[in-house]
Amino acid sequence: MTCMRNPLKILLLLVAVLLPGTASAHVGSADIYFEGNAGPYPLFVTVRLPQVVPGVAELQVRSGSPDVHTIKVVLLRLTGPGSNLPSTPDVAQRSKQDPQFFVSDLWFLEYGALQARIEADGSKGKAELSVPIASFPRQAPTMSPWLRGLGLFVLIGLTLGVVPVAGGMARECTVPPGEAPQASHRRYGRIVMAVTLIATAGILYGNKALWNEEAAVYDRNVDLLKPRRVEATLQDGNRLVLRLASPLLLPLAGKGREAVEMKMEEVIPDHGHLMHLFLVGMPGMGRVWHLHPERLQGGAFAKTLPSMPAGQYQIFADIVDKNGFPWTLVGDVKLPQITGTAVAGDDSQWEGSGMSPPFSEATVAQLPDGGRVVWERGGGPLKANVPTSFKFRVEEQDGSPARDLEPYMGMAAHMVVVRSDLSVFAHVHTNGSVPMAALDLAQAGLAAGSSAGTSGAAPAMAHHHHAALPPRFSIPYGVSLPGDYRFFIQIKRSGRVQTAAFDTHVQ
Amino acid sequence: MSITKSFSAESSVESRPLAFVSAGAVSIPWTIWFTIVGVIATMTGSVLDLSWHMSIGRDEFWTPGHTTMGVGGAMAGLAGLYEILATTRAGAFRGRDASARILGAHGPGGAFLVAWGGTAMLASSPFDDWWHNAYGLDLNFITPPHMLLTLGYFAIMIGAMVWLAGMIDRSREGLRERVVWLFLIVSGVSLLFMPLLNFTTRRSMHTAACYLAVALVIPSLMIATGRGSRHKWGCTIVAAVYMGIVLTSVWLLPLFPAQPKIGPVYQNVTHMIPGQFPLLLIVPGFIADLLLRRLESRSSWIKAVVVGPAFVLGLLAVQWPFADFLMSPASRNWIFGTGYLPYYFDLARYDPYQFKALEKTTGAFVLTMAAALVASILTTRFGLAWGDWMRKVRR
Repeated sequence: MTCMRNPLKILLLLVAVLLPGTASAHVGSADIYFEGNAGPYPLFVTVRLPQVVPGVAELQVRSGSPDVHTIKVVLLRLTGPGSNLPSTPDVAQRSKQDPQFFVSDLWFLEYGALQARIEADGSKGKAELSVPIASFPRQAPTMSPWLRGLGLFVLIGLTLGVVPVAGGMARECTVPPGEAPQASHRRYGRIVMAVTLIATAGILYGNKALWNEEAAVYDRNVDLLKPRRVEATLQDGNRLVLRLASPLLLPLAGKGREAVEMKMEEVIPDHGHLMHLFLVGMPGMGRVWHLHPERLQGGAFAKTLPSMPAGQYQIFADIVDKNGFPWTLVGDVKLPQITGTAVAGDDSQWEGSGMSPPFSEATVAQLPDGGRVVWERGGGPLKANVPTSFKFRVEEQDGSPARDLEPYMGMAAHMVVVRSDLSVFAHVHTNGSVPMAALDLAQAGLAAGSSAGTSGAAPAMAHHHHAALPPRFSIPYGVSLPGDYRFFIQIKRSGRVQTAAFDTHVQ
Repeated sequence: MSITKSFSAESSVESRPLAFVSAGAVSIPWTIWFTIVGVIATMTGSVLDLSWHMSIGRDEFWTPGHTTMGVGGAMAGLAGLYEILATTRAGAFRGRDASARILGAHGPGGAFLVAWGGTAMLASSPFDDWWHNAYGLDLNFITPPHMLLTLGYFAIMIGAMVWLAGMIDRSREGLRERVVWLFLIVSGVSLLFMPLLNFTTRRSMHTAACYLAVALVIPSLMIATGRGSRHKWGCTIVAAVYMGIVLTSVWLLPLFPAQPKIGPVYQNVTHMIPGQFPLLLIVPGFIADLLLRRLESRSSWIKAVVVGPAFVLGLLAVQWPFADFLMSPASRNWIFGTGYLPYYFDLARYDPYQFKALEKTTGAFVLTMAAALVASILTTRFGLAWGDWMRKVRR
């Protein structure tokens, strides 16, 4: 997480990585942005996931140190079978213009929780890093017009060709040499032509049905892996209960309609909580709550709400299943005035003005305790799909660097990114867009199966429990779509969780 | 083993009128050799491709298997096309009197189907590539582009058989024997590509659906080619060629090292993974040959009623107990190859050494088996008609 502290490196990153894509396993944000250490080498990893799975993902690695000369990548499952046997590693192409930048193409054949295991080789030896990846299809495959045209041409040509060939063979082949076909031969030929025509039509129909079924299965898989609907009900005046509208099904790629149900009972904790619930006041996102419901018997989740004003709220709820695959549940709820207690523990809230363009693009946001968060964004406009190290610093009221930052749920900061039309939602951290629970699984697998020196990102969190964090932090991420966004930055100071909001337009 | 004894007297060249003798074949033209090599190359390519998918993964379109298949299809297609063009242009020099006239062109009847098949195979390539990239996985065989590819390949093989069948009739002694063997080899290769789907995998061999699948597709081809070859052990040889090719692949492929290039990897693959041990078709093939000789003077329907069920029951008698052996640890060696698992095989999904139970009740099993017996009669009858037709092919 340290490779981006040098402004020159940030500049190099912004300049070098200009390919489009999207971002993390949330809503409308699939690509992976991750910052971590492979042993002594700080790496910034971007995974551009294919829209269509099976498909080829592009994995970009920017080394923070100049002495890395080789990057190799293998794709594994995150847990269980398939998580420890490597394929032949793909040796990433090293950029000639920028020798600290490496690109690898990886075939993604499966859906679910995978990991890219990256081996960096440099002057300090070999070291590994694992990056969890949520693989899922986002759109149905399309056929280019020329291929479609060729298909039609081939279909007509072959169909029109085989009928007379079959008929001709039936008519001619048994005629003794030197003789002309008799009436019986010609009749036989016509019969065979008719049968061939019917058979060809049958084959074409069968193939069309097969194709339709394949396309329907694919569309279903895309739908199953979209953010899933959650239904919210209010009980006893202040208890919000969340239930899945339909089971969580992880389809198996290439296995027809086979799917594995992910039980809510098997959801694993992600930085200390089974669910991270965000209630965003609509319209305008003038209020936001970050809460942590408890699991009930039967798989529902419930939370006793703090005091909240009446209104319409958008629900985003992040969970991670037992295999390390992140799911974001979405819904909405209309709440009456809630009279409850103040937020406590890891729960947090923020209230401010709603989004209303044109934005000031302000780079300073006030904190409730009088301090402020400064976004060191530089002068240029923010662009979609550009891997970016979002840099912030926390200041006291008098402008001096804050010295009382504490880990908030194990991390220096959390950033929640919401597009004004709610089509993009991402909950990212100083490690990037991967869920911490998945990262823990990846690190555990790496520690168990590797002799190479590793560190990943997790150790960067652990040591912060006993000392104040630096006032500066960076969050690797790339905004997936152009548009208007609100970024919520959440930190903890002197035992109190505080939130700052920035509005910005992304080109 | 004497082949000539099994030929009927009516096929001797000397007994033909002058016009036929002038169209008699004196050697095997290079276009036929080209076609046969194309057939074998395509077969080799497809066996290699299957193994590549199981051992390495389809990381790009132009794998050695795909390339060999493409070259094989192109060779056969071009040979067929050349034969047609040459016969059409050259007239009597290339036996135009003994050629079929189709769509205004002249050539051996089978060459037209070969040319069509080669075109279909090549035409399927871009769509196969798209399909893999779109719907993937490479484990799916039943896709429209694969159907077109298989149909094209099948057309090449049927075309080659018809082409050779015409030559058998017009060939002199000695040459005829070689043509018959070429016919039997192509027939044996074609048996590899019968659409048995997943019903004849090792795990399915204790289901009635396995035998129904065999009954629906195997007798028609094996009886037709065995009979069309005019060899008295035609069905046995066709089955032996099929088994020999598959066994060769089971025994040779693992000698080549390989490592998966695509993850996730579920099995530690260090060498090429072959397909499964062949079906024991040589037994029903032998039974069919014996019975057909005994029933030579009977009607085709009588032959079908006897040979069809005997074919299925003969296979059942050997394949069922053999499947028990294939499931046992004793078969997990290089000879039977049941210990080889593809890199993508996730043991958490199912046990590869447990039989499937497709029929849930005994009644369903009996009914499916009865359907297999009835189907075998019909497909044997069809095979007899097709084989008899190939015996009559003159051009």
